[in-house]
Amino acid sequence: MKKHPVSLYCLPLAAALMAGSAFAQKTTVEFWTFNLSPFAPYFEESVKKFNAANPTLEAKWVDMNWDQIQPKLITAMAAGKAPALVNFNVPWTHEFARKGHLQAIDTLSNGSNRAVYLPVALDDLAVNNKVYGFPFYNSVSVIAYNKDLFSKAGIKAQPTTFNEFIAQARQIKEKTGVPAFSPKLATKSGDGGMVRWFMYLGLPVVQNGKAAFNTPEHVKVVESFADLYRSGVIPKDSFRLEYEQEVASYSSGKLAMMTTSSTALKRVEVDNKAMYQKTEVMPFPIAEGKMALGAWLMSYVIPKGYANTEAATKLGLFLTSDERQLAIARFTETMLPSSKKATEDSYFMAGKNSNEPIERARAAAAQSMKYARTPMLPPNALPDEATMMKLFNDQMQMAIEGRKPAQKALADAAADWNRRMAKK
Amino acid sequence: MKPRHTYILVAYLFLGPALILLALFTFLPVGFNTYLAFHEYNISDGSATWLGLENFEYIYHEELFHSALKNSLIYLLIVPIVQIMALVSAKLVNNQLPGMTLVRATIYIPVITAISIAGVVWGFVYKYDGMLNGFFSWLGQHTWLLEAGELIEIDWLGDPDIALYATMAFTCWKGVGYYMVLYLAGLQAIPREVEEAAELDGANAWQRFWKITVPMVKPTILLCTLLSTIAALKAFQEVIVLSKGQADTYTALYYVYDQAFKNFVFGRSAAAGLVVTFFCVLLAIAQFRMFREKD
Repeated sequence: MKKHPVSLYCLPLAAALMAGSAFAQKTTVEFWTFNLSPFAPYFEESVKKFNAANPTLEAKWVDMNWDQIQPKLITAMAAGKAPALVNFNVPWTHEFARKGHLQAIDTLSNGSNRAVYLPVALDDLAVNNKVYGFPFYNSVSVIAYNKDLFSKAGIKAQPTTFNEFIAQARQIKEKTGVPAFSPKLATKSGDGGMVRWFMYLGLPVVQNGKAAFNTPEHVKVVESFADLYRSGVIPKDSFRLEYEQEVASYSSGKLAMMTTSSTALKRVEVDNKAMYQKTEVMPFPIAEGKMALGAWLMSYVIPKGYANTEAATKLGLFLTSDERQLAIARFTETMLPSSKKATEDSYFMAGKNSNEPIERARAAAAQSMKYARTPMLPPNALPDEATMMKLFNDQMQMAIEGRKPAQKALADAAADWNRRMAKK
Repeated sequence: MKPRHTYILVAYLFLGPALILLALFTFLPVGFNTYLAFHEYNISDGSATWLGLENFEYIYHEELFHSALKNSLIYLLIVPIVQIMALVSAKLVNNQLPGMTLVRATIYIPVITAISIAGVVWGFVYKYDGMLNGFFSWLGQHTWLLEAGELIEIDWLGDPDIALYATMAFTCWKGVGYYMVLYLAGLQAIPREVEEAAELDGANAWQRFWKITVPMVKPTILLCTLLSTIAALKAFQEVIVLSKGQADTYTALYYVYDQAFKNFVFGRSAAAGLVVTFFCVLLAIAQFRMFREKD
């Protein structure tokens, strides 16, 4: 039998060991997103590109449901296994930053990388003059409406003010019998409830450490919502209609309008093509708050426990670069970027006169982007936010559903808030 | 014959794996929770500051916690209902009648259905224009209680007077099958001769049920009652999927969750959790006393 030299056996083994050790040296940079699994090809491409450009790092993408991400992050942090980056919205970013659970992103607080992003987006993510997130995608609400119902109701012009919008909504209910819109009163997703409406309408919520919503103007607003509820202009289950249910109601013809982000149209296209074909789109009017309704900036934050900040920053800058933000906007067809160059791309206005409702929605949303501020209470305003918001929302629900006069509900909520804020 | 201490050692060896698991996943978390209840805990650096009874004082004065605890105690109403339904179902499906396997499976299916999926389905059942109101409207119209075209639109999950009970009904539906299986095991352990002897003595079905079945499954009743009491006090998932704690359905465990995962006040959350545990223990003692075998 022919004898092979020892080196012949050893070489492949050594090569394998070297490859193994090179692999072992790679630092895993895990990033979490929520509800973005439908866009897996985009993320897989991002991971591939990042890993190719950074041989010592290995990006790993994990997607989960929005309601899992906070509890999972908390448990991961408590276990000392925080990921490098987590996809957060603005309220969560502020909440976690205030409690010292996030790392400030110094490269964005005063570095040259600031120039990549829209100033309005960086402002949204700033807590005590430090930026705590890499601005990612944004959204604003558009009005997607059922052309047949609008025509039956005899509506021809687009509303230019919120009052006109409400008047049209009443007309729709009166002439067609179908509830006109769902005003996002459900609060589970964090982007609903009366606090947002007060801000959109330019009414204060907290001022000088006190509840500022116990005024005749606020009473008038709550009473008008109560009247919309009583007369069926908004559905009876408005307090439970989250994004998913709103899309489902509109798709099945139980709502004349969908007043949510343009991403919802993608769902309508899949769920009910016929309804999609008879959908027209218009921008949501700007009210006295001078902010676009439904602005909901997403970011990537670095949790406190993650040690390799440099790697996390590298990945954060990559994922939110002009190129990647434009790529996700193009891929999803409905998301809006928060980086300057990407926003200026001709892609966003190209569909203004398209036959596709999604493309018209994108152009309508892009028009509102300059007003895209995420509605936020002053930092640290509520000492027991979960309880205070729960009590406030309960009072608003009682008032709007007609179980309590609006004035009494607002006064009770204000008294409770003031008592708690005074104790802080 | 082996010495007594060898038998004890073997017994502990058999108990060992279970004891280790219990220690790791039950006693340790309960102990840590108790520790947290007296501290202010920071998750980012794991530091804990001694607070004494401050967390308990806070929840003692917190009206929302009182109302949450009240709702959890109201939830206990489902315990006897679930037990009676489960025992009766078990008695029914214990008979050798055609189709009983299908009936057993039907009653058991809710147990293995994920609560999130079941919650979404029941959300449609409970909607104001959902299946339940649709059924009542149809019934009303066909019994001339309602006029043609008139609809019942009860807001099952939005009306604070009924939302909690609607959620409790869901818990009953979800839990009956589980307890039915336990009762079925208990029933099958009753010797057939005992029933036959009673039958020969002229006892009717009702008498046999109360005088033979119930006393003989008493240990199972104790176990099931204990388990369903704990489940009722821990009601949280069904609330979060069905009503999101709105319309006066906020339970004590929802408060625990909110304080930990929304406010990040783990000490206060642990204190509230400890109060719920206290009620569980109290009720368990009462049930052991009620169902214990008389000498």
